[in-house]
Amino acid sequence: MYLLIILIPLLNSVGAGLGGRYLGSKGAGSLTCIWATIASLLSIGLCYEILINGSIVYLEFGRWIESDLLSSGLGLQFDIVTAIMLIVITTISGLVHIYSTSYMREDPHLPRFMSYLSLFTFFMLVLVTSNNYVQLFIGWEGVGLCSYLLINFWFTRVQANKAAVKAMLINRVGDIGLILAIILIWKEFGVLDYCSLSSSIDSCHSSLPWICILLTIGAIGKSAQLGLHTWLPDAMEGPTPVSALIHAATMVTAGVFLLVRSAPLFDHSPTATIIVGLVGSLTAFFAATVGLVQSDIKKVIAYSTCSQLGYMVMACGLANSGSGLYHLLTHAFFKALLFLGAGSIIHALWDEQDLRKMGGIIRGLPLTYTLMLIGSLSLAGFPYLAGFYSKDLILELAYNGYCLIAIYWLASITAFLTAFYALRLVYLSFINGPNLTRARGRYISQEADWVLLGPLLVLAIGGILVGYIAQNTVFAGGIRPLPLVPSTVAVMPVILSVGGILLVFILPTLVRSLPLFNFLVRAWEFTPIANYYIGRPMWKFGHIVSYRTVDRGVLETLGPTGIAKFIITLTQNLSSLQSGYIYNYALITLLGVGISLALL
Amino acid sequence: MSYLMLSTIILLMGILGIILNRSNLIIMLMCIELILLASTILLLFGSYALNTLLGQVFAIMILTVAAAESATGLAIMVNYYRLRGTIAVRALNLLRG
Repeated sequence: MYLLIILIPLLNSVGAGLGGRYLGSKGAGSLTCIWATIASLLSIGLCYEILINGSIVYLEFGRWIESDLLSSGLGLQFDIVTAIMLIVITTISGLVHIYSTSYMREDPHLPRFMSYLSLFTFFMLVLVTSNNYVQLFIGWEGVGLCSYLLINFWFTRVQANKAAVKAMLINRVGDIGLILAIILIWKEFGVLDYCSLSSSIDSCHSSLPWICILLTIGAIGKSAQLGLHTWLPDAMEGPTPVSALIHAATMVTAGVFLLVRSAPLFDHSPTATIIVGLVGSLTAFFAATVGLVQSDIKKVIAYSTCSQLGYMVMACGLANSGSGLYHLLTHAFFKALLFLGAGSIIHALWDEQDLRKMGGIIRGLPLTYTLMLIGSLSLAGFPYLAGFYSKDLILELAYNGYCLIAIYWLASITAFLTAFYALRLVYLSFINGPNLTRARGRYISQEADWVLLGPLLVLAIGGILVGYIAQNTVFAGGIRPLPLVPSTVAVMPVILSVGGILLVFILPTLVRSLPLFNFLVRAWEFTPIANYYIGRPMWKFGHIVSYRTVDRGVLETLGPTGIAKFIITLTQNLSSLQSGYIYNYALITLLGVGISLALL
Repeated sequence: MSYLMLSTIILLMGILGIILNRSNLIIMLMCIELILLASTILLLFGSYALNTLLGQVFAIMILTVAAAESATGLAIMVNYYRLRGTIAVRALNLLRG
C-alpha cells in the first residue's frame, strides 16, 4: 500500500503520456481520475494508520551512493509530517484530476495534461516520502520540472513560455541554496538521512547557522518568499487546475515541508530561526498588500497564496513547525477551493479573468458563489472555518513566541488585509453590479457540469471541517500547543478578520483611494528593480565579459581563429620574399651563405 | 697574400654586380664569369702555394665549364630576347611567390 501510493501516479503518467493516443481524451481522463482517486483513498487509509494508530513506517530499499565518505540510501519514511503532506497531495491532486477532465474538455492535448499532472504528483510524493536529503532533491527538482511543463502547457503562447522559464530559473536560485545546504550537512555530519541527522545534532557545530540559512534560501525559492517570489504570480499563465494543484496546494508547500523536515536543525540555530520568521512575516505582509489591489482574479489568489505561505514559513520561524504544517493542511483545502472556484467563474464567463469586468454573476452561478464564499471566509479566518484554527494559532504563537514582536504586528495587519482582499474578490465578481461586456453578458451562463463542481464540493467540506478535525493530529506530540496570551490577543484575529470582511461591504471602493496605489499594483516595483539592478548588470556582464571578451575575445584570439590567422599572415609574408627578381634571389642566397659561414 | 685579396675582391665585385644590377642580363652573365675567374685565380694561387697540381687541373676544368656555361647562357638569352623583345632584369619577374 505504501509503495502503491507513490507508484500509481507514475504509472498513471506513463500510461496517459505514452498511451494517450490509444486511450483518447476520454479514456486517458477517466483512467487517470480513477487511479488518482484510488491513490487518495489509499493515502487516507495510510493516514489512519500513521496518525490515529501511531505506526510510523520506515522502508529501506538499499544503498544508492556508497563510498567511504558518503553513503546515501534509497528509502521511504512515513511519519506524521509525511502523512499530512500525503493527504494534501493525493487528495488535492485527485480532485484536480477530476476537475481537469471537465475544465479542459475542449483541449486537444488532454492526455498530455493528465500525464503531466500525474507526473507532478509522483515527484511531489517522492519529495515528501524520502528519508534523506538526496532523494528529497529528486522530488524537489522534479516538481520544478513539472511546473515548467505545466505552466508551459499552452506552449504556443509567448507569455506562458516566459512565465515557465521564469519559474524554472528562479526556482534554480533556491535549488542552489538547497544543494549547498546538502553539501554542508554532509561535510558537517557525514550523514544525509533524517533519522541519523536529527540524532547527531548539537549546538556546537559551527556551520549549523549556515546550513539553516541555505536551507531557508531553498525554501524561499520554492515557496515564493520575499525576494524570489516573482515567479508565482507569473505562473498563473498556466491553466487554472495547474494553478490550483501546483501554485496553491502542493509545489509551493515543498519549501515549507523542507523547513518542517529540517526543524531539528533549526531548533539548534536561533539566528536562522529568527531570519526565517522575519522572511515569512515580511512575505505575508508584502503579498497581502499587493493582493489588495490586483485586478486579475487569479493574481489575487496567487498573492494570497504567497501571503499564506509567508504565514507557514513564519510559523516555522517561531520554532513551531507543527503549526506551520497545520496551516499548510488547511490552506491546501481552501486555496484549491478558491482556485478551482475561480476556474469555474472563468469557465462560465468565457475566459474572462479581469475582476473589473465581472460582477453580478451571483444570479447565474449561485453554487459557485456559495463555494467561493466558503473558500474566501476560510482564507479570511472566519471563526469555525478551517483557516481560522490554523491562523489563529499562528498569530497567538507569534505573540507568545519569545521573539521579535514585529512579527506579530506584521502578521496581524496581514490577517486584516487578507480578510479584506478575500472578500473583495467575492464582492467584485459576484455581488457588485454587472460590468460585463455585452457580448459576454449574453452568454452568461449557468453552472458547469457536476464533474467540475463535484471536486469543489469536496474541497468546500474540507475547507469547513479540516481545521477542526486535524487540530490535534498534526502536531508531533499529538496535542495542539496552547499559547498563553492575554484575552485581547486571543480574540484579536477574529476582530481583525471580521473587521476586514465588513469593511469590504461598507467601503468597497476603498482600494482605489489607497495611498501608493500604483506602487502596490506593480507589486512594490520588485520586478523592475530586480531587472534594473540585477538583471541588466548580469545581462551586460554576460554580453561584454563572458561573450565578447572571453568567448569571442581571449579564447578565439589565443585559440583556433587567432592561430590560423597568425600562420596565414606569416606564410604570406614569407612567400612575398620570393619576389621574382633575380637580384633579390641573389641577395638572399648571399645572405644565407654569409650567415651559414658565420655560424660555422 | 695579395693574390688572395685580389681574388676575393673580384669575387665580391662579381656578387655585388649580380645583386646591384637592375638593368641588363648580359652584365649578370659577365659577373658570373667574373666570379668564376676569381675562383680560378684562387685555385691557381692555392696550387702554387700548396705546391700541388690539383688546383691547376680544377682551374682548367673551371675554364671549360665557364665557357660552356656562358655559351648556354648566351643561347638562353638570345632565345629569350627573341620571345620577349627585352632582356632587362626588371622584366624577369613572372614567377612570383
